[in-house]
Amino acid sequence: MKKTLLVSIMVLLTVSMLFAGGAGETAEAKKEIKVALIVSSTIDDKGWCQAMHDGIQQAIEELPAGKIADYKAVENTQPADTMTAIRTYVNLGYNIIIVHGSQFRAQVEEAAAEFPEVMFAFGTTTDIIAPNVFSYMPQSEETGFLSGIVAGMTTKVNKVALVGPIDGGDAARYNRGFVLGVQSVNPACKIQITHIGNFNDTVKSGEAAQTFIQGGADVLTGSSQQALGALRAVADYPDKDIWWVGQDLAQIDLDEGYKCIAASSYNYKAVLIGLVEKFDEGKLGGELIPMNFSNGGFVWGWNTAKCADKITPEIKKAVEDKMAEFKAQANILANWSDVDYSKL
Amino acid sequence: MDFIVNTLTLTVRFSAALLMASMGEMFNQKAGIFNLGCEGIMSMGAFLGMLIPFSIGGASAVPWYVNILGLLAATVCGALLGLLFGIIVITFRAPQGIAGIGMQMFGVGLAGTFFRSYIGGTQSITGINATAIPGLSRIPIIGEVFFTHNPVVYFAYLMVPVAWYVIYKTPWGLKVRAVGTHPRAADSLGINVTKVRYQSLAVGGAMAGFAGAFLTLCQAKMFNAGIINGRGFIAVALVYFGKWHPVKIFLGAVLFTFAQVFQTQIQIFVPQFQYYEFLTMLPYILVIVVLAFNRESNKLGPAALGKSFNREMRV
Repeated sequence: MKKTLLVSIMVLLTVSMLFAGGAGETAEAKKEIKVALIVSSTIDDKGWCQAMHDGIQQAIEELPAGKIADYKAVENTQPADTMTAIRTYVNLGYNIIIVHGSQFRAQVEEAAAEFPEVMFAFGTTTDIIAPNVFSYMPQSEETGFLSGIVAGMTTKVNKVALVGPIDGGDAARYNRGFVLGVQSVNPACKIQITHIGNFNDTVKSGEAAQTFIQGGADVLTGSSQQALGALRAVADYPDKDIWWVGQDLAQIDLDEGYKCIAASSYNYKAVLIGLVEKFDEGKLGGELIPMNFSNGGFVWGWNTAKCADKITPEIKKAVEDKMAEFKAQANILANWSDVDYSKL
Repeated sequence: MDFIVNTLTLTVRFSAALLMASMGEMFNQKAGIFNLGCEGIMSMGAFLGMLIPFSIGGASAVPWYVNILGLLAATVCGALLGLLFGIIVITFRAPQGIAGIGMQMFGVGLAGTFFRSYIGGTQSITGINATAIPGLSRIPIIGEVFFTHNPVVYFAYLMVPVAWYVIYKTPWGLKVRAVGTHPRAADSLGINVTKVRYQSLAVGGAMAGFAGAFLTLCQAKMFNAGIINGRGFIAVALVYFGKWHPVKIFLGAVLFTFAQVFQTQIQIFVPQFQYYEFLTMLPYILVIVVLAFNRESNKLGPAALGKSFNREMRV
């Protein structure tokens, strides 16, 4: 009997030791990186959300194979649904959760407090929200400035227009950068701006663009995914000298891209790679990640295939000279917020 | 002068979708059915309206009849969804408000799912372009305001007198009004209440589907999952706004669109006014204010609106 008891205890101890070894494996497994993305639109919106999704995909390809064990995106999320999505992902073991849009701030604050062991990334904001939240802010006054140079030098009637979503976040920076860019090359140019009050309503942005075109503007731009509607409206005038400057490189490849002289894009690949590195170091947040030309956060592309005749050497030089300045030094346009639309 | 002409021209052009959808909703409500699912039906219409020309020609130009086929497919689909709604609220007598919200979610979700499955990402089409009517479009001011539009815009405007005639001058219109006002009395006179209500829902759904297709084929010329963006609900509100009368609904749709265009124009031409948030709210505030002052609306509306009919019950 004693022998049986002894053997039983030995077996139990052995099994316990095996499980103890397993715990080590579990701890190891916890280091596995799983990334989740929460967006308000879709990952193929040719704008804001697609830029992030594409950046994550590029980062996954560039990082060592298996470094990011899994990546999932949830689309068409409203702020009211965000906590459900976050809790689901955390329960499934996702440890880097990117909540892409300034409208989700309250939910990110709540989730960061509830799940301090999870890394969150949130943009756009310059505020530090919590020790486990990395904030990111595209300093898109730089891309807006370059778009403004193109618009200001392309217009033949000295009237350009911008269809904006809301006057906040990176859109506000892009729009004001655009104003500064136009004024830098063509001070006599009239700049017209409207905000449709929505990030996704392509019908309304198309209506706004039609209003501008009816009013005589001949170069338009716009920020966020709603701008696609405005680009489509510009393409309604195939034979007229009406042009578009994009805020996403994907717009060049669209069918109506023949109206898009050039476009800029956010390079979120660098952001995600940076997040992974921080995660490996054990740092989960508490920092601001600015995105600008000097840290590779932006890319610029010309539509040489379809708009070569609009890209004059003068325009190209003006843009590339300014871009070189941006690459050499960040925050050159620190005065972007001084732009006052009421004085345009 | 340019400001006024542009505002009016764009008002005429952009009011067509709301006009069609609200006319359709009027048919529903005249028959006593309150269809909050208009938004969902418009979404499916918008998707199908785009799917056919896109499947045949991609983003390239397609023969005119392909676009018409898209409009027809959206219209038929709208009618079928109207009938589906009828099964829920007429045959099974589900509460109309709740069922309408369900239909809205169903339509928007289905359109988004099909779009992702069959098309993928945001895509545009050539659609139906505006055409200036020779001669008429050259009349100063009036020519540009009224005669430089898409042919479908004229069709939508034509639906106003047609809807008025159908509702007030045809035997079927009389039956629709009868089943919406006093279904039991209509039933006692031999009118098949269930059949007339189904027919009204099919007509209303068809017009909502058409309105959705107008957005993708004639206005935005693209589809994305949230393209309707509340316009279906505005169409429902406009029926109350117009006190269930086609001409007043037409005026409501034009006034709402005018407010939308006007607020954009104010932003553009009066940059000194910095409160764009207020301006974007303006059209909605207008609807709320008018509805609030329309205290008599309930007396003018179909008496049996929102009430299911069961001929076996004595109530």
